[in-house]
Amino acid sequence: MDLSAYNFGFDREHAGSVRSTALRYGLSVVCVAIALGLALIITLGLSLILQNDASRDTALPLFTFSIAITAWYAGIGPSVVAVVLSTLAFTYFFEPPLYTFYLYSNDIPDIVLFVAWGAIVSSFAAVRRGVENSLRQARDRLQLEVEQRAQQARILDQTHDAIFVREMNGAITFWNRGAEERYGWRRDEALGNITHTLLQTRFPEPLAAINQQILLTDRWEGELVHTTRDGISIIVATRWALQRDDRRRPIAIIETNNDITVRKSREGEVLKLNQELAIRAGELEVSNKELESFAYSVSHDLRAPLRHVAGYSELLQRHASTLFDEKSHRYIQTIVESSQRMGNLIDDLLSFSRIGRAETKKMQVSLEQLVREAVAEVNQDAGGRDIAWKIGALPVCSGDRAMLKLVIANLLSNAVKFTRMQPLAKIEIGCVDASQDDVEMFVKDNGAGFDMQYANKLFGVFQRLHRTEEFEGTGIGLATVQRIINRHGGKVWAEGAVDQGATFYFSLPKVHSAAERTANSS
Amino acid sequence: MSILGRILLVEDDPRDVELTLTALDDYKLANEVVVARDGQEALDFLNCRGRFLDRPHENPAVMLLDLKLPKVDGLEVLQQVKSDDRLKMIPVVVLTSSHEEQDMLRSYKFGVNAYVVKPVDFHEFVNAIKELGVFWAVINEPPPGSIKR
Repeated sequence: MDLSAYNFGFDREHAGSVRSTALRYGLSVVCVAIALGLALIITLGLSLILQNDASRDTALPLFTFSIAITAWYAGIGPSVVAVVLSTLAFTYFFEPPLYTFYLYSNDIPDIVLFVAWGAIVSSFAAVRRGVENSLRQARDRLQLEVEQRAQQARILDQTHDAIFVREMNGAITFWNRGAEERYGWRRDEALGNITHTLLQTRFPEPLAAINQQILLTDRWEGELVHTTRDGISIIVATRWALQRDDRRRPIAIIETNNDITVRKSREGEVLKLNQELAIRAGELEVSNKELESFAYSVSHDLRAPLRHVAGYSELLQRHASTLFDEKSHRYIQTIVESSQRMGNLIDDLLSFSRIGRAETKKMQVSLEQLVREAVAEVNQDAGGRDIAWKIGALPVCSGDRAMLKLVIANLLSNAVKFTRMQPLAKIEIGCVDASQDDVEMFVKDNGAGFDMQYANKLFGVFQRLHRTEEFEGTGIGLATVQRIINRHGGKVWAEGAVDQGATFYFSLPKVHSAAERTANSS
Repeated sequence: MSILGRILLVEDDPRDVELTLTALDDYKLANEVVVARDGQEALDFLNCRGRFLDRPHENPAVMLLDLKLPKVDGLEVLQQVKSDDRLKMIPVVVLTSSHEEQDMLRSYKFGVNAYVVKPVDFHEFVNAIKELGVFWAVINEPPPGSIKR
């Protein structure tokens, strides 16, 4: 844009110089010719009418005039030509001896006059042209600058931010389209208004302090509350830049405002949520602490009286064995057994609560290895029973090794326990590749099974679907399994039928390789 | 006093004291036992203070220590004993109801010699106490400066 403007000025200047070269010398010849013609006519007329030879006095000013015209309009070169031509013509036609180019010494002042006149006028002309030229250049520069300023203003106008300029007294002198859209006032409505009155600005600090800072550093930024034409309060992130004149006197402030109302309210929400979260976390910690001290005191204080019940019952039995009949012995025995059972329940409950409180240490765990270890342990406890184990291929998953071991050990010992009545116990362990993210493992047996009607009770704490005489246990094993799997972000469920075996399933998140995870997330 | 005091039992619950003594009596070890009913008393005995001002300045062959005690609790007693140059050679057996891992970890950190959870079952309890008594008071050779049999 500015380039073409520059070319335009350059072309015009160039064309002017060509034109003058062609015409300037022609002008000098024509001027001198006209002067000669007029001088001859006038001389002839005067000699006829007045019988007086005033030719020289008439011709001299005419030639001088022609030189002046040439010098003024055509410059130094043509004026020299005009001086020479005029001298020749004047000498030939008007200086005695006429019709010769012979010069007397008293003609020299005339020639000097021509030359001096030509020099004076052409120097004036040169000055004039110089002035003209610089004026033209100044005009071109001004045009260029106006063009650039206009373009900058258009760019400012097109930005989304609300931008306006105000004088030091607050009067608005520029108001961009962003400001029109944000605040609702059109440019012609906004111009001339006092900014802080129009926008009902609320400042984060006293205005005097802000003004002091901007005068000191030429800049200020902060957050303001403005009111739009519709009366809506908006929060803007604002940047002020001070404009100064050549003598460093402040003349205007450019204010750029960015509406951050939505962002602020989101920030507020996030802050509030974070605070709530912190409170919740604190409450959780407190209740965890309470739970811990509860578990601790259960562990210490609940077991002691049980031990005493059992102990003193035994002592009683020992001391009074001769006095007791069989029934009394059985009663005492029941007391002892019950306290023993109560002790087991407390121990189970405590270890169950410990699982809930313990930290899970995530690592890569080979389920196959865990199963092999658990099978070896369970086989030892099975007392030489004939069990047909069928172990499928099992993957590696991510989890706490000790906890997952407990899961598998619980499921396997359940399977062993509930197949006790079978002549040949069959226990199958395998894996279903269910989905991309989860591993599904199952433990299937051909044991006592259960009624699907009560499937929801299987995983409850101390819930049992069999009588104690049939199968021993406190009913904590499957609750522990569920708690551990839930803590790993998985699920447990079971299928079965009475006397037709049971299948227990659990799902765990798969281990993804780092590369795979990156590929998925991108 | 006829009590030799080779076994220091620190236990606040009189029933537990009685059951423990009953168990030790089977091996005729009951008269070897000095009972301290709280941590303060245990420290008084070990340092020959207060009630035990006149006792000979010898250490017990073993201290059976409950953790939950009035006044000075068991872990505190353990820490003081194990940081006292004169007392730290005394074998200390923590005898507690607690299965809590925290208690166990801290006890071992303070330098306990054994950690025994009292079984609820009386037979198991009696066996545990007997074995402890026999091992520490009879089989084990106590460190120099302990009360002689």
